[in-house]
Amino acid sequence: MKKYTEDLDFQGEEYISDWPSWSPQDIRRKKCALESARLMVDAAMTAPCAGGVPSIEAHIVYGQEELEAVARKVEEIAHTQESWKEPFLYEAVMVRDSDVIIFLGNTRCHETPLDAGCGLCGGTLDCGYFYEQKTQKYGLVDITDRSSKRMIDGPLCTARVGDLGYAVGSALWTAATLMVDARPFASMGMAGQKMGYCPKSGMVVGVPLAAKAKNPYVDVNVDYHLINMDKVLDNTRKIYQTARIIRGFDYRKWIPKPKKPDEEDV
Amino acid sequence: MGHLIGKEYCLDHLVDVAKSIVLAIHKAPQITGKTKIEAEIIWGEDLEPIIEVMGPVGKVMRYVQWDYETIKKCYEKGESPVIINIGAKVSKSNLNWNCGACGHDTCKEFNAYSKDYKGGGQMGGPSCNWKILDWTMACDWACASAWQHRVDNRIMGSLGFAMRALGFLPDMDVNIGLALGPPRDMVYYNREEMHKSMSYEMDKQDIVNCVPTMFTAFPGGGTPMYKTKDYWWAPPEFMGIGYSEEAMELYQQVLFEEVPEIVAKHADKIEARYKNKKK
Repeated sequence: MKKYTEDLDFQGEEYISDWPSWSPQDIRRKKCALESARLMVDAAMTAPCAGGVPSIEAHIVYGQEELEAVARKVEEIAHTQESWKEPFLYEAVMVRDSDVIIFLGNTRCHETPLDAGCGLCGGTLDCGYFYEQKTQKYGLVDITDRSSKRMIDGPLCTARVGDLGYAVGSALWTAATLMVDARPFASMGMAGQKMGYCPKSGMVVGVPLAAKAKNPYVDVNVDYHLINMDKVLDNTRKIYQTARIIRGFDYRKWIPKPKKPDEEDV
Repeated sequence: MGHLIGKEYCLDHLVDVAKSIVLAIHKAPQITGKTKIEAEIIWGEDLEPIIEVMGPVGKVMRYVQWDYETIKKCYEKGESPVIINIGAKVSKSNLNWNCGACGHDTCKEFNAYSKDYKGGGQMGGPSCNWKILDWTMACDWACASAWQHRVDNRIMGSLGFAMRALGFLPDMDVNIGLALGPPRDMVYYNREEMHKSMSYEMDKQDIVNCVPTMFTAFPGGGTPMYKTKDYWWAPPEFMGIGYSEEAMELYQQVLFEEVPEIVAKHADKIEARYKNKKK
């Protein structure tokens, strides 16, 4: 009976708009994007994989503080390497402009490889390239020492990494089908992994998505980390206030009007 | 005015569907934006060398045997699958990301290693893992595109191995094959083509070999019996672990004798195709 009562209560209205940011109407819009993200994860989980072996895990992350933390991690990583610096700083801006981020990781690529001797990792006829560089006993890899001087603790089973690619591909295909903007990023994947998202994975890819008028992941300008919508808006706040106070009038008594054209000018 | 009936025109149309799928392959998003991907479409008589290579490999790899029998029987029935070969350049990094995923500290070190070992694996390798992600995303878009066209399909490493051995897409470092059609449900899953090609005993023995835990009796003694027959306790059966000369010999014979022999028969013709395209 309770269910019947709830069904009778099926009424309401939802106002949705992308402006102002983080307003109730914008958060409702973000919730729509969150639904898309969940469907994208569905697709990732059922993507083709070698031997039908489950190896994909996902984290869906949203919210102002959560996305800001990811953006700052991407910025931190950007400054660790010259080749990452500019693109990753641009991509940190994209994090802040996203509605949701999906992290997709492969839980087996560093610990339980395919063991098929495919050679994709090291170009050899067996899995020796992988195992020789791992702490292992009879093919069981000890991953308890999680410290690494490298950003990613390779080598990885490349066949498993391939499975991750299929999962990311399926998530993106679904985004495209739903007409939601999404792109895959290494920077966000590495940041997410360092933050503990997809905790069992050896490699992680970040897939941010957004349902906005302008796709946040394409058509950027130079120095995007310095010149972007957030900065433009903040600069407007900076400039416009001062422009108001350099002169003034009491609008209740007098408002300046455009000069009337002289008759000669007509 | 016109009238179409039967399946023949569907088989012809598969090639057009494959062309649409290749568009999806090239449209697939990339992480690096720097991975070169190529695809080609193969069907009809041009499948014969591929099927021929898969035959002996099937003797040492069960999953290859099933792919081989399915494709061969469809082809022989006049229902040629259409194969899309998807390749990528992944053995050299132009990223300079030095992320360590490949097992080297820098991309420069990886490239030096790769120069010596390039193409040494059955499926290719060594690989930059970010480029592998780009490639497999494209492969996934191929599969997704095929499903959206409602064409039965399966992405197959077995096809990739055969096409790579034969020299298809010679400029690429890795290959994989997407088999499409014929127009029926479940060609590559459930596999009607293989009905009656395996016995109950063979199927059961595969499971015993692959999942021995299912058949292990009380392990407390340290040398458990294996329950492989109804009266498993009399006389008892045990499993052993050891080097199999027979298995390894067959494996080596297939990989280093039978496959190269077939490849030698077809290599010139296949190589000429790419040379002619370049002209």
